[in-house]
Amino acid sequence: MKTLNAGLISIAASLMVAVPAWAGEAASGAAGATQDVIAAKKQGVFAGITAVVLFLVVFAILAAFAWPKIIKGLDDRENKIRSEIEAAEAARQQASMALEQYQKSLAEARAEAQKMIDAAKAQMNSQINEMKAKAEVDAANLKAKALADIEAAKKQALADIYSQSATLATTVAGKILKREVGSQDTQRFVDEALAGVR
Amino acid sequence: MHQTVLTLAADPISQVVNQRWTSTADGWWLWSAHIGNLLIASVLTLMVLLYAAAKIKTGPESLGNDRFLTRSRGASLIEVIICYIRDEVLKPFLGKRTNAFMPFLLTIFFFILINNLLGMVPISKGLWLIFPEWKKEHILPVGMTATQNIYVTAGLAFIAFLAINLAGIRELGLGGYIKHLTADAPWFIWPIIVPIEIASTFIKPVALAIRLFANMTAGHILMVVLYSFAGAGIYMIGYKPGLEKGVGLLVTVGSTAIAFGIFFLELMVALIQAFVFTFLTTVFISQLEHHHEHGHDDAHGHGDDHGHGKGHEHAHA
Repeated sequence: MKTLNAGLISIAASLMVAVPAWAGEAASGAAGATQDVIAAKKQGVFAGITAVVLFLVVFAILAAFAWPKIIKGLDDRENKIRSEIEAAEAARQQASMALEQYQKSLAEARAEAQKMIDAAKAQMNSQINEMKAKAEVDAANLKAKALADIEAAKKQALADIYSQSATLATTVAGKILKREVGSQDTQRFVDEALAGVR
Repeated sequence: MHQTVLTLAADPISQVVNQRWTSTADGWWLWSAHIGNLLIASVLTLMVLLYAAAKIKTGPESLGNDRFLTRSRGASLIEVIICYIRDEVLKPFLGKRTNAFMPFLLTIFFFILINNLLGMVPISKGLWLIFPEWKKEHILPVGMTATQNIYVTAGLAFIAFLAINLAGIRELGLGGYIKHLTADAPWFIWPIIVPIEIASTFIKPVALAIRLFANMTAGHILMVVLYSFAGAGIYMIGYKPGLEKGVGLLVTVGSTAIAFGIFFLELMVALIQAFVFTFLTTVFISQLEHHHEHGHDDAHGHGDDHGHGKGHEHAHA
């Protein structure tokens, strides 16, 4: 333990000696005059003046040739982006409004069309019904007329038949009365009478 | 031998501070490494932002909708940073004044950021390797971290101070600006409030300067210390017997690994500090405006409450 301690102490001691030793060798040949961190006035004041002058020169040049361009460039871009965003927003709003309008008018048109279809249908139906009714009436009329015609024709025919048969009967009776009625003659008379009817 | 090297004690600070290039006879540094770095950073800032502007700007009509695109990876990266700061910092705090202050606040952000990042590039070590005679004389035309120089950060904070107060006077009018120093408090509190407000006007930029300076210095010193441990470890491997060689190896590998991690932390700090400087300048500008508007202006974000809390506290104190 003792030897270890002694060893550590000797190492530490030699390190402490070594730092200045190396540094001293590194600095050997130096002009001497050590400086403080805060330099003497004679050593620093020109550097300070130079800093002020150079800064003002740099500032003047940049204020004239660099910063206006940079500020304008950044502002232009900002304004461009802002206006583009605003335009996009407006366009979106317009589009959604147009869509709404379109949907509304579409719905209106659809309702209108439905109404028109309904009206047309109703009109058609009523027309059909009307036509049907009319047709039925016509048909009934036609039927009635036909029946009446038939009836009239039948009556006419019967009347004709009656008058004809009367005339025929008279003629037949006259002929019969004029001659002897034989069996063959009878048959012949009948045939003649019938031929006369025709 | 150790006795002699011990007298030349390790000084990590000397590894991060400014280096002279030319000076007058009575010791004024006319050109130093930081001035070289500031010049390079200025040129880089101009190049980066002019390039980004050419890519971000609205193109000709003939491109159609593509004229609004930024078609360059580099410019897109810059644009993301610009838009983040504009939307998360400037707009919540400055509202309608955002575009008016964007050039100033974002220039100061990129100027500091590029200076901070340039400080992460080991220009000084590289130049001293190529020109050992410069190292011998301890001179350097360019390198180190300019934002690690308190005079540089003070200069930037001075510009921020002018911007904050001129913007305040422009917004409130001179009378309103002076009236603002009373923080709307009843007259009998003025003897306390007015000195505090006047002091705070000057403390704000001082805090800006010290914050940036301290953050950029501390991390770099930490890295130098860690690398000096690695150097010590290598020294032990080379000159010490047995077990101590092993310890030296362990120390070298360990501290190098940690320093590597710290490097990435430093990258983050470089970004954060540039952001913080810009953020606080914005907050300070926003504090000097008409107070009664705050509660009602919806354009101001949630951050507004934070930014103006101080002013309201004064009012209710």
